[in-house]
Amino acid sequence: MTAGAATRGLPIEIVGLTKYFGAVHAVDHLTFTVEPGRVTGFLGPNGSGKTTTLRMLLGLVHPTAGTATIGGRPYADLENPSSTVGAVLEATSFHPARRARTHLRMVARAGGHDERRADEVLDLVGLTADARRAVGGFSMGMRQRLELATAMIGDPDVLVLDEPSNGLDPQGIAWLRDFMRYLAGEGRTVLVSSHLLAEMAQTIDDAVIVSYGQLKAQGTLAEITAGMTGIAMRARTPEADRLVSVLDGAGIAHRRLGPDEVVMDGVGPERVGPLLAQHQIVLYELVPEGGDLESVFLSLTSGLGFGNVAAHA
Amino acid sequence: MINAMRAELIKMRSMPGVWVTLGLVLPLTVLVILGVFVESASLTGHTFWYVHTVRERRELLGAGYFGLEILAPIMGVLCITGEYRHQTITTTLVLTPLRTRVLGAKVIVTALWSVLLALLSLVAVVVVGLPWNAGLGGVTSQVTDQVGAVVPGLLASAILLGLFGLGFGTLVKNQVAAILLTIGGTLILESLLIALARAVFHYNLNWLPNGAGAALAGDIARGFGGGGRGTGIHLLTWWQGGLVMLAWGLVPLALGYFTTFRRDVT
Repeated sequence: MTAGAATRGLPIEIVGLTKYFGAVHAVDHLTFTVEPGRVTGFLGPNGSGKTTTLRMLLGLVHPTAGTATIGGRPYADLENPSSTVGAVLEATSFHPARRARTHLRMVARAGGHDERRADEVLDLVGLTADARRAVGGFSMGMRQRLELATAMIGDPDVLVLDEPSNGLDPQGIAWLRDFMRYLAGEGRTVLVSSHLLAEMAQTIDDAVIVSYGQLKAQGTLAEITAGMTGIAMRARTPEADRLVSVLDGAGIAHRRLGPDEVVMDGVGPERVGPLLAQHQIVLYELVPEGGDLESVFLSLTSGLGFGNVAAHA
Repeated sequence: MINAMRAELIKMRSMPGVWVTLGLVLPLTVLVILGVFVESASLTGHTFWYVHTVRERRELLGAGYFGLEILAPIMGVLCITGEYRHQTITTTLVLTPLRTRVLGAKVIVTALWSVLLALLSLVAVVVVGLPWNAGLGGVTSQVTDQVGAVVPGLLASAILLGLFGLGFGTLVKNQVAAILLTIGGTLILESLLIALARAVFHYNLNWLPNGAGAALAGDIARGFGGGGRGTGIHLLTWWQGGLVMLAWGLVPLALGYFTTFRRDVT
């Protein structure tokens, strides 16, 4: 696969997007932008509002307030949606008796494309040999590939992928990573939600981190991780309980990683060192924490968020 | 709309339940044909006898109606509930965001498959009923003379029964429940309600779906449904039946659209 230089993508703009399900605030005044030609990770814990946001973007869920547009237009107003946006939402949305090729022929028809596109996208995702098999017999990984084929049927400018690596084996995940990089290299807009942070860290250019439906951070991966470096410390100590009491007394946010491990957020060694010495807490290890996506994610989504990292970057 | 309709046609063609439904119309029609000849023989001393009154000739031509009153609504139910059962509604609405367009395509496709059901029942009449009638001594042209009185109404009834099923499926969404309720409503509930209305209120309950459909289909309905002549109700005129059937087809569809189909797909 070779990446083209053309910039064919469209920006995704989420402005003040809000969705209440009764008393539950699934998405709460969310605002962010996704740029073409880049892979943007949409990251958050389970139940943080990622899927609801993507479904509002695609017109499946009606927002309580705010707007979600693609190239400045709501999804429902796009002239040819499947040529503009390809979406992978769930790997279970197939009729089990339908053959893979029949499913894609149906999708091609619905989008107004030539049915021959079915064979092209089957080849693209490596499912040509299984084209005549009923989807009910597919593994989760094969279903994910078929979802991707479905999304690619209209050769869209924008890809919206909700947890596309679920069920994929390591080879599949590596393939997906290359696939997304290739699409972004062609100038397309790729927005991918996931909670597999190690995998995302290898794939994405930009990140949008949400928790409880609210934006916690947005920026390039470098900006986000750089903004967090050195402002968390991890201590390993046989006196973890006493350490926690001391941190509570000093008003320092912290997380318990294990019986003898505590992470102190928002502080550096200059603050922590004297404090622990003052209370004569035995330490086996005291190291800076952070500088990687997982640390940033855990810090921002543990309810102790540090605000918009992009603002610091 | 054309694209959505073509996609819906592929969906229906690739659902085994649709083909089973289509296949069932043949044995059900043959069963009714057999019943017509048995009833025609009731005063002759024979087991079977050719159709010799206008009503019997119409019953022979419209022998498929009994199957249609069960299977056409099921066709409509399958068209919409399959989407919810297998969660394909997500893909459908992503590909065609305008929900009125999706529902419009389903209306047309349900109508087409319902017509196919009706035509298949007529094939059974032509292949089994007419030769058998001729073999018993009947005159085929006397039966085919009634085509104009029966076939247009049969086709229209099939379409409207199909739309009734589509609207019902849009409201209920659960495929198994919708199919069971459709069969139960046709075979049991409507007849019970008719009998209850007559016995308790002395009321001629002839505007339920199968009774109205029977009126539209040229007074040919028989069997277990509400339109059968065994139920003792006086059917509406064909045009009254048509209007009532139109309401049974469109009201659940409109209710389904405004209550469930427009809801969030989460």
